[in-house]
Amino acid sequence: MTEDSQRNFRSVYYEKVGFRGVEEKKSLEILLKDDRLDTEKLCTFSQRFPLPSMYRALVWKVLLGILPPHHESHAKVMMYRKEQYLDVLHALKVVRFVSDATPQAEVYLRMYQLESGKLPRSPSFPLPDDEVFLAIAKAMEEMVEDSVDCYWITRRFVNQLNTKYRDSLPQLPKAFEQYLNLEDGRLLTHLRMCSAAPKLPYDLWFKRCFAGCLPESSLQRVWDKVVSGSCKILVFVAVEILLTFKIKVMALNSAEKITKFLENIPQDSSDAIVSKAIDLWHKHCGTPVHSS
Amino acid sequence: MAQQANVGELLAMLDSPMLGVRDDVTAVFKENLNSDRGPMLVNTLVDYYLETSSQPALHILTTLQEPHDKHLLDRINEYVGKAATRLSILSLLGHVIRLQPSWKHKLSQAPLLPSLLKCLKMDTDVVVLTTGVLVLITMLPMIPQSGKQHLLDFFDIFGRLSSWCLKKPGHVAEVYLVHLHASVYALFHRLYGMYPCNFVSFLRSHYSMKENLETFEEVVKPMMEHVRIHPELVTGSKDHELDPRRWKRLETHDVVIECAKISLDPTEASYEDGYSVSHQISARFPHRSADVTTSPYADTQNSYGCATSTPYSTSRLMLLNMPGQLPQTLSSPSTRLITEPPQATLWSPSMVCGMTTPPTSPGNVPPDLSHPYSKVFGTTGGKGTPLGTPATSPPPAPLCHSDDYVHISLPQATVTPPRKEERMDSARPCLHRQHHLLNDRGSEEPPGSKGSVTLSDLPGFLGDLASEEDSIEKDKEEAAISRELSEITTAEAEPVVPRGGFDSPFYRDSLPGSQRKTHSAASSSQGASVNPEPLHSSLDKLGPDTPKQAFTPIDLPCGSADESPAGDRECQTSLETSIFTPSPCKIPPPTRVGFGSGQPPPYDHLFEVALPKTAHHFVIRKTEELLKKAKGNTEEDGVPSTSPMEVLDRLIQQGADAHSKELNKLPLPSKSVDWTHFGGSPPSDEIRTLRDQLLLLHNQLLYERFKRQQHALRNRRLLRKVIKAAALEEHNAAMKDQLKLQEKDIQMWKVSLQKEQARYNQLQEQRDTMVTKLHSQIRQLQHDREEFYNQSQELQTKLEDCRNMIAELRIELKKANNKVCHTELLLSQVSQKLSNSESVQQQMEFLNRQLLVLGEVNELYLEQLQNKHSDTTKEVEMMKAAYRKELEKNRSHVLQQTQRLDTSQKRILELESHLAKKDHLLLEQKKYLEDVKLQARGQLQAAESRYEAQKRITQVFELEILDLYGRLEKDGLLKKLEEEKAEAAEAAEERLDCCNDGCSDSMVGHNEEASGHNGETKTPRPSSARGSSGSRGGGGSSSSSSELSTPEKPPHQRAGPFSSRWETTMGEASASIPTTVGSLPSSKSFLGMKARELFRNKSESQCDEDGMTSSLSESLKTELGKDLGVEAKIPLNLDGPHPSPPTPDSVGQLHIMDYNETHHEHS
Repeated sequence: MTEDSQRNFRSVYYEKVGFRGVEEKKSLEILLKDDRLDTEKLCTFSQRFPLPSMYRALVWKVLLGILPPHHESHAKVMMYRKEQYLDVLHALKVVRFVSDATPQAEVYLRMYQLESGKLPRSPSFPLPDDEVFLAIAKAMEEMVEDSVDCYWITRRFVNQLNTKYRDSLPQLPKAFEQYLNLEDGRLLTHLRMCSAAPKLPYDLWFKRCFAGCLPESSLQRVWDKVVSGSCKILVFVAVEILLTFKIKVMALNSAEKITKFLENIPQDSSDAIVSKAIDLWHKHCGTPVHSS
Repeated sequence: MAQQANVGELLAMLDSPMLGVRDDVTAVFKENLNSDRGPMLVNTLVDYYLETSSQPALHILTTLQEPHDKHLLDRINEYVGKAATRLSILSLLGHVIRLQPSWKHKLSQAPLLPSLLKCLKMDTDVVVLTTGVLVLITMLPMIPQSGKQHLLDFFDIFGRLSSWCLKKPGHVAEVYLVHLHASVYALFHRLYGMYPCNFVSFLRSHYSMKENLETFEEVVKPMMEHVRIHPELVTGSKDHELDPRRWKRLETHDVVIECAKISLDPTEASYEDGYSVSHQISARFPHRSADVTTSPYADTQNSYGCATSTPYSTSRLMLLNMPGQLPQTLSSPSTRLITEPPQATLWSPSMVCGMTTPPTSPGNVPPDLSHPYSKVFGTTGGKGTPLGTPATSPPPAPLCHSDDYVHISLPQATVTPPRKEERMDSARPCLHRQHHLLNDRGSEEPPGSKGSVTLSDLPGFLGDLASEEDSIEKDKEEAAISRELSEITTAEAEPVVPRGGFDSPFYRDSLPGSQRKTHSAASSSQGASVNPEPLHSSLDKLGPDTPKQAFTPIDLPCGSADESPAGDRECQTSLETSIFTPSPCKIPPPTRVGFGSGQPPPYDHLFEVALPKTAHHFVIRKTEELLKKAKGNTEEDGVPSTSPMEVLDRLIQQGADAHSKELNKLPLPSKSVDWTHFGGSPPSDEIRTLRDQLLLLHNQLLYERFKRQQHALRNRRLLRKVIKAAALEEHNAAMKDQLKLQEKDIQMWKVSLQKEQARYNQLQEQRDTMVTKLHSQIRQLQHDREEFYNQSQELQTKLEDCRNMIAELRIELKKANNKVCHTELLLSQVSQKLSNSESVQQQMEFLNRQLLVLGEVNELYLEQLQNKHSDTTKEVEMMKAAYRKELEKNRSHVLQQTQRLDTSQKRILELESHLAKKDHLLLEQKKYLEDVKLQARGQLQAAESRYEAQKRITQVFELEILDLYGRLEKDGLLKKLEEEKAEAAEAAEERLDCCNDGCSDSMVGHNEEASGHNGETKTPRPSSARGSSGSRGGGGSSSSSSELSTPEKPPHQRAGPFSSRWETTMGEASASIPTTVGSLPSSKSFLGMKARELFRNKSESQCDEDGMTSSLSESLKTELGKDLGVEAKIPLNLDGPHPSPPTPDSVGQLHIMDYNETHHEHS
């Protein structure tokens, strides 16, 4: 009852008129007011609605388990995190792995490597996994200001990719072809004709979650969904990219050209792509509803 | 060279008069040819032949085998090019080709063919041309498909020569032209027969030109009147007739027959075609239709021998005419043919020449008449005597016949035209061949005496004939044949005609003797009576007469030959006729009669063999005969086959030589007189022309013979077919017999079956009656049984009734008994009651008395009661009051009690609500606790992660430190080594040891000893460490090893690997260090010591552990407890001890040493 009273009575009309997100912010705030944050609800919320950017970092941290659900411990845990961050950074500096000149993303990578015990003896050529991490970290740098937060989110994000989505990520290309076939079979046949289907930049799309492919402003909306537990959105973003640049892709005939083009798609229409992709995702997978 | 000479000698010997020598030389040549493959021998042979025209050489050349053909052809080709040798080489070629060598297919590829064609196109000598054309015509059917590339050449040659016939370029003698014309005619037939479409189109194109129009009108058109429309013109095409597939199936003789089929010229056309046609058509009237249809062809067949010789004969005619200076003959025979068509048939040139055969006469004779004759003749000439027959009798017979016919038919044809019709009519009824034959025979005789014989007279003649000298034999034969025929006609209607044809030879063969006799008389008489007149007066007008003239001399001796060309001809003809006889060297006239008489024997024995068999079985006999005939033919073929021909050739040549000699002997004037008398050309010229003519004739003859051979081949094939058919017939008959036998069997079986059936029926009836009887019995018995059953049933019911009655009676008895008992009981009861009532009466009396007494007492007590009543009321009242008070008291008490109850109940409620509240509170507390726990866990997790991070950091640090140390020591080692090197080799062994052990180890060991830390634990540890360190892993063993590296123990085994490992790690620098973290500290002074301490704690007794780690864990625990309680303050506490105290560090160390984390916590 209290929630109802707090809610704006205009909310119904907002949605009707087409202003989205006005009411969401409120409801998110309500959600965030709970002392023990309900991660399930937060998940559902972030899957259903775009997160307001001011709460994004908080929600992500909560969802990624960097912050506990209790408000009281936030400060303390955050302090731990920060100290840990500083310690690790310090250590890296001591062992001269990292200097002030090192780019932030690489710093994150080294820290991550150190924490996972995979730190090489000397700064070596980055492995493919490291490349993924670097790309994500680079993108994350743009999204999150605080370096501690950024490190932690990047780390947890990558962790989530490596643990939670480990089984589902390899399935995505197949799902991608399936949905592309549903949306536009001709395009898929064209890709198959050019034998470009297996050569599409799946690594860029699914392993790096479009880091470096889409501008961060739109990418974070995608990552909202990824963080909240759905990696399938990646498929739809990929499908939507192909649908958006269908004409150009159809015009290209060789697999190399298509791959090259898809790796460097124009940035201007990315917002629209993401919006459409989310709509498409909702259309195919249904709007997530909070179970409890 | 020697060989050359040898060959020359041999060649000279080849013509030696000694037969033996000749044979030997021939054999030698053949051997040489077999062994030698070179062209030399063949070339010399050819040369020799050209020089001498030696017969043995020719024989060898014509029988050349495969490898030499090329040389021969080359040589011939070479000579064809030369004008001088052309004629003789062409005749050689003709000889070779006519024998159809095995390599004849190569002719088309040989360069000879083009050069021959060229020669034919270019040459102007008629003799050469005629010879060449004949060779070409002979060659064409041998190379039908391969000749197609020369097709246009053939046509060109035809065009050229046909125009030659008309235009007579240069000084060509008419005589030659006649020959040429004949050969062109033959070429026309051949080309039209083989390539009709192409040829017709050629004709169309060639004669559409104006300059050729005349030639067409004069020469080609008449030729065309002698051919039918070729079927290929309708069905085939230009390409099709050139198609090799068309020709592949056809053999040479097939091609020849094909060509003959389309000819309408009675002398040229094929008999076979009509024969086959009749075969198909004449299902209804086989005999007649066959006869009628075959007849026209038949006569051509007869005349086949001289069929193509028409022009040839005309030439002869001309020869005859020339002396008489009769210009009419100059016009070619073809013109005659045009002008008087009916005559033309009558006129057949062969008749004119009359030399070989009678054939022309059939042309005159109406078909039906001629047919039997033709049968006879055809079979003798064509079928009965294929190639080999010359050896047997038939050949002469035809000759004689021809004579006969010439005599007979001519008068018939000329004198009695109405008779033709008559014969036509009369011929129809004549279904049987014999009749015709006899008719003919009959008709043969009369002409001599009567001139003509009507058909009605024929039977009489028949009878006469039958009674002739050979009549017995003939009768037999006739009887056999008639039997055969009747059998055949009944059994198999169709094959009659061919059969007859085959059989007839025998029949015919048997006749000659008789015939001849009558014949000679007739002919002589005829010659006397009829011939003389036309002979001189109308030589040219009446064609038929000329033969007579020609034939009359036959009876005359040969001597007259030298007197005139006619005589010459006769001589030749007689010679030729004689050639046909088996004995080649004999001179014709005398042998003929002798021959005639001598003939029968060879056949006789055949018949004698054959006849007994006829008695047994006709069919078998017939086939036997056929087989034998075929065999006889082939057998006789083999030996003398070539000889007659050779003889013929030789004879002609001899004749020619003799003639020339004679001529030379003759004084010139006489000759000139002769010639001038006849108005001919100068004698020398004449002689030459005659020679040429002779040559031409020879060529013609050879060509005809070739054709005949082809026919013979074909006949043999047909014969084989007939034999097969006969065999099949027989087989059929056998099958029929079997069928009949089987039918009989079936009948028998049927009868027996019926019998069996009847018997079976009887048995069945008996059985039926038995069954019915038994059935009735059974029925009766059943009826009885039922009756009995009913009775028993009744009895049983009765029994039942009785039983029931008994039961009822028993029940009644029981009832009665019961009643008795009951009454007895009642009785006793009644008696008892009685006694009871008595006692009750007594009691009543007693009670009454008592009642009275009690009444009295009552009265007494009532009196007493009335007395005492007033005292009791006071007491009761008092008691009542007491009771009331007591009641009130109790009531107040109850009230008090209820009040108390209420209060207590309220209290309980209160307490219960309290309890609920407390529960709720508790729950909340629990929730809160959970919450707090969660919170704490979150924090703890953060802390743990931090701690984890710290661990990693320290690890990294350690690594770094180790790395640095490693580097330091490496540097030190290097320095030391240098020092050592600088020193001397005295301590080399020690050094070596040191090096081997790992210098670092030894140093560490010294350090340890110096520090003295391990003093007490030194002794026990090695054993314990060894005992237990196996499972502990790298840490334990490393620590022990570091201890063991003291000199007293053998450090070799343990230190060796370590040092080496150390070295490798040194080499590899940083990369491999993480893996060796656990083992490395041993060598490090500070860290190693620390670690060792810790390990000692671990590995040694529990008390140490208790001392150190338990305190550690305790402190941790307490801290954790505090953590839970105080929440906020503890992090500081936790943070505090972390960096400073040694314990966490040591724990971290342990952790690094791969000790289990959980294990640590537990402890």
